[in-house]
Amino acid sequence: MTQPKNLPSSLDIILHEIPGVRMTPKEGRRIRVDSSPDSLPALLELLKGRMGFMHLSAISCVDWPETDEFELIYHVWSYEQKSLVSAHVSISRDPGRFVSVYDIHTPAGFYERDIHEMFGVVFVGSPNLRKFILTSWDGPPPMLKSFDTLGYVNETYGWVDYQPDWLRDVEGKGGGIES
Amino acid sequence: MRPENYSPVQHPPSHEYELYFGPNHPGIEGNYAIRVRLNGDVIQEAIADGGYLHRGFEKLMEQRLWIQNIALVPRICVPDPVPMEEAYARAVEALGGLEVPERAQWIRVMMLEISRICSHLFTFGGNAATIGLYTNMFWGISMRDLFLDLFEEITGARIYHMYITPGGVRRDLPEGVLDRLEATLDEMERRTPEFEDLFFDNAVVIKRARGTGVISLRDALAWGVTGPNLRGSGLPSDVRRDDPYLVYPDLEFDIPTEVEGDALARMRVRKAEVVQSIRILRQVIERLRGIEGPIRCPLPNPLAWNIPAGEAYTRVESSKGEVGFFAVSDGGPKPYRVHVRGPSQMHAVQVLERVLKGGRLEDVAQIMFSLDACPPEVDR
Amino acid sequence: MDVTPKYKGSFVKPLKALSHLFREPVTLPMVPRPASDNYRGFHVNDWELCVGCGTCRQICDNAAIRMIHIPGLPDDPAAGLKPRRPAIDYGRCCWCALCVDICPTGSLALSREYVHVSPDMNTYFILPDEKGIHGLNFPKGWAKTDDADLLDLARQPMPQRDPDSRGDNFDEIVHGYDDQAAILEASRCIQCGMCHEACPANMHAPEYIRAIWEGDKERAVREIYRTNPFPEVCGRVCTHRCETACSIGKRGAPIAIRWLKRHAMAALDDERVRTIALEGKVEDRTGKSVAVIGSGPAGLTAAFDLAKLGHAVTVFEAKPEPGGMMRYGIPEYRLPYDRLDADIAVIRAAGVDIRCDSPVGPDLPMDKLRDDFDAVMLATGLGAGRSTRVPGTDHPDVKSAVALLDAITRGESIDVPGRAVVIGGGNVAFDIARSLARLQRKTSGRVDMTLVALEERDHMLADEEEVVEAREEGVVVLNGRGPRQVVLAGPSDKTLGGLETVRCLSIFDEEGRFHPKYDDGDVMLHEADMVIEAIGQASDTGYLGEDLTEALEWARGRIEVGADGATSVSGLWAAGDMVEGPDVIHAVAAGHRVAESIHRFLGGGTTTLEAAE
Repeated sequence: MTQPKNLPSSLDIILHEIPGVRMTPKEGRRIRVDSSPDSLPALLELLKGRMGFMHLSAISCVDWPETDEFELIYHVWSYEQKSLVSAHVSISRDPGRFVSVYDIHTPAGFYERDIHEMFGVVFVGSPNLRKFILTSWDGPPPMLKSFDTLGYVNETYGWVDYQPDWLRDVEGKGGGIES
Repeated sequence: MRPENYSPVQHPPSHEYELYFGPNHPGIEGNYAIRVRLNGDVIQEAIADGGYLHRGFEKLMEQRLWIQNIALVPRICVPDPVPMEEAYARAVEALGGLEVPERAQWIRVMMLEISRICSHLFTFGGNAATIGLYTNMFWGISMRDLFLDLFEEITGARIYHMYITPGGVRRDLPEGVLDRLEATLDEMERRTPEFEDLFFDNAVVIKRARGTGVISLRDALAWGVTGPNLRGSGLPSDVRRDDPYLVYPDLEFDIPTEVEGDALARMRVRKAEVVQSIRILRQVIERLRGIEGPIRCPLPNPLAWNIPAGEAYTRVESSKGEVGFFAVSDGGPKPYRVHVRGPSQMHAVQVLERVLKGGRLEDVAQIMFSLDACPPEVDR
Repeated sequence: MDVTPKYKGSFVKPLKALSHLFREPVTLPMVPRPASDNYRGFHVNDWELCVGCGTCRQICDNAAIRMIHIPGLPDDPAAGLKPRRPAIDYGRCCWCALCVDICPTGSLALSREYVHVSPDMNTYFILPDEKGIHGLNFPKGWAKTDDADLLDLARQPMPQRDPDSRGDNFDEIVHGYDDQAAILEASRCIQCGMCHEACPANMHAPEYIRAIWEGDKERAVREIYRTNPFPEVCGRVCTHRCETACSIGKRGAPIAIRWLKRHAMAALDDERVRTIALEGKVEDRTGKSVAVIGSGPAGLTAAFDLAKLGHAVTVFEAKPEPGGMMRYGIPEYRLPYDRLDADIAVIRAAGVDIRCDSPVGPDLPMDKLRDDFDAVMLATGLGAGRSTRVPGTDHPDVKSAVALLDAITRGESIDVPGRAVVIGGGNVAFDIARSLARLQRKTSGRVDMTLVALEERDHMLADEEEVVEAREEGVVVLNGRGPRQVVLAGPSDKTLGGLETVRCLSIFDEEGRFHPKYDDGDVMLHEADMVIEAIGQASDTGYLGEDLTEALEWARGRIEVGADGATSVSGLWAAGDMVEGPDVIHAVAAGHRVAESIHRFLGGGTTTLEAAE
């Protein structure tokens, strides 16, 4: 694979050592890396160990029911290079299982727990996947696209039936709330 | 005489006990809880327990038009809402290819820095209160109120400004507001020595805060600590400088650090940051007086606004650390996904749990405040 | 202060706080303090400005706004006024003020009032007027500003021929939007639906505008054909009531709905349009037959609908080509004949048999039609010119506008007058003035064309663009003048000399009847070789025969019909200009109504094309 323009030359090493990654430099100190799920731990290890990408800023999860995949994005920042690598991997939705990167980045503990809670992804080796926010929730993981918030709300809660005087007057004249 | 069915309480042999700290506890910042397992008053283990402020914002944002979300984002962090507005707006701008006019960029910096001062004042007050110094709290809040007056004048609201919009800001500055900001900054500077006397030079504060809740730089980096907490452990890192946005590269300011990594160091960093924010604001006032022009780029009709497919990760330095917004568009009128990374997601959970361990019960509240943890940001 | 770790701090310095005992308190007494100029408090709504479009409800991210139907408020679809106003649920509102920033009229604002305390939930659902939640007339806070409007009030410019390149030919003036401009124009629409209700044919404009914005031209054409089989025509010459009613037009330029329709049609080839237009056509024949007299928009719309419903429809047209006034009245530079032909080809493809050069009269009597067909529809329009009947109008060089326009369409050679005066201020007057001006420029290279209108400039009956463009093409427009007499060239000269006009002081009398008053002291002579009268048209219903004319009900020269177009004679319907006065889209709407009524009459029940879809 050829070296894209305006990519820090120190990132060359990734292209050499990890098979099947694709790098796309983007605006403003951002680099998108697409990797296979298998290579991700090695990629993060390499980025951290040799290039100083030691700050795991976040792990984002996106649900793509159309392709039946979860996309996981690991945003790592280098205090030395002053750039942000967003490493994208796609895993199968069923079963949503992936390896934990807690050993490489401690902050992953929280993010994996959060994603587990909101999307149902199981991170093997993550230290703590207990519920955190949705302690008393036993429905499906709510961030899944298949979970219909409005439908749930309409089923669970009612609308307030206001009866102010002005509305009674208007209804008396044949008007009222339009649907 | 004891009743017949009386049986004495069985204490565990270790004399350990668990205390539920929160969720409506005066020593807790917002609605949050910490389960602490104690032996005597020494903390054996602390388990953060969130979710009391979960409003499902990330999910809600997927169901609202791009512009409607400006009403949601400030609510992610109540004491420091502007960085959330900025991060969201910039994500939309990156996806939609919008250019923010120069005047709007300066106004946004102004809002961000005022918000930083407000938030730090809030934390000063709260932090002092956790060690019994309520006067400081009154002072901090009343000073903050003067800045809220400015917010009210500029944005029409004191807390949830909903002022920064993709492409710029929603209204131009009212006549004369820069003069009033300047006067408020003067007042702030006049009051600073009093804060110094009351808090930073206070023997009680130093006694309680020095050496409490220490985070070494090594741990800070490993645990994902950011913002003033990281700088309190010695790393001069700041998103405004390292990953600049808006017109920050045109501004002169220092990045204060301390080395001790304890509760006092973190508060001292915040104090120094307020001074830097005032310095920035004075430059902004100067520049804004000379910059005319639009306050927003032309936007499409909000009801017919599709954003090209793509993704963007934007970062902002809030008063609490690194705010990150990851936005994904599938080309539609609403975000496909918005992930909010708040600094307190680290500070209030894993970091807090680790720092509390081995500490003492009476320091729980102080440590949480010194980390400036913001529960609404954790829960979203 | 010292920063060394050993520093222990001071016990005395904090005591300085005691000095605060002698300061003014920061806190304020318990009265509401005045809010800032820009405050986002409770809503206020100027009911005079509000049109009830409901855009506030659409933008509200919390479903806090509901529209309340209020009987007694102005209810005028043509003016874009709905009798409803927004009510706000303060259990849901988050005061983001997006409703204010998007409000098309600028009626909605937030006030500086911010205190409401009540144990009664009902008081949190309010119907704001300009006085505010408690009727206390607090000043406005957050209100609309020009630099922060969320709506684009400017229309995409329409590329068109400049006066130099159009003055001597009949090529179409307007070029039409390209894709980019059309999408941008369509994106301005807020989908309030005012246009739908203002349109006589209730066209689904919001739907096709949205489809154009999404780039789905096929869906746009499908939406258009739901209600209008003359989209190429209406995309050019429609009187666009929709745009008059458009909410964006309250402060800015309305969405160019007419041009967007034209754009959607131009994007698809004729074959594709035909396929879409004929979707839903009933394949089973009903065995019933309908005769339509006149092939204008009313007649052909009804014919199209009835043919799609499975009836055998025959259209009888007196002139050599179908289309009526669309062909013989509207000049080609506004409506090219091939575009009209395209619309008519679709109608023919639906199975309508159009027979031209077939005037109803001695060779084809009404009685025979009524015997041969199960239903007959009259749609013969207004084909005859009317005269001012001022002295001298019987001169052979005093012409009627409709007759001249008809001759120009037929390609008959006309003696182009070197100097001409047109009497009239409506669109037909401008049509003939601009057509003749073109011929003048073509033959002699110069234009000498005067148009005298009774109305003042601000109240002209013609479309504004007609007046502007006519002037650009060299037509002299004189306002506020009425004809007095046609004069001869000299006492012994029988050739036409010109037209004498007088200043018009007022057009209507106190009761609002047409009764112009003139200032006889202000007389002008406009020298001319031809005077053209364009003051209105009349219908020629001689073909009906005496018996039928007797049997029908008449009102002020027009056949009286019911709401569905049925006349007082069973099996006979009438619609279009002859009933309602000149307008294409009204004629289309009437055509639909008649088709529905005939279909019912023929035993088709209540099935309609809309329902069949």
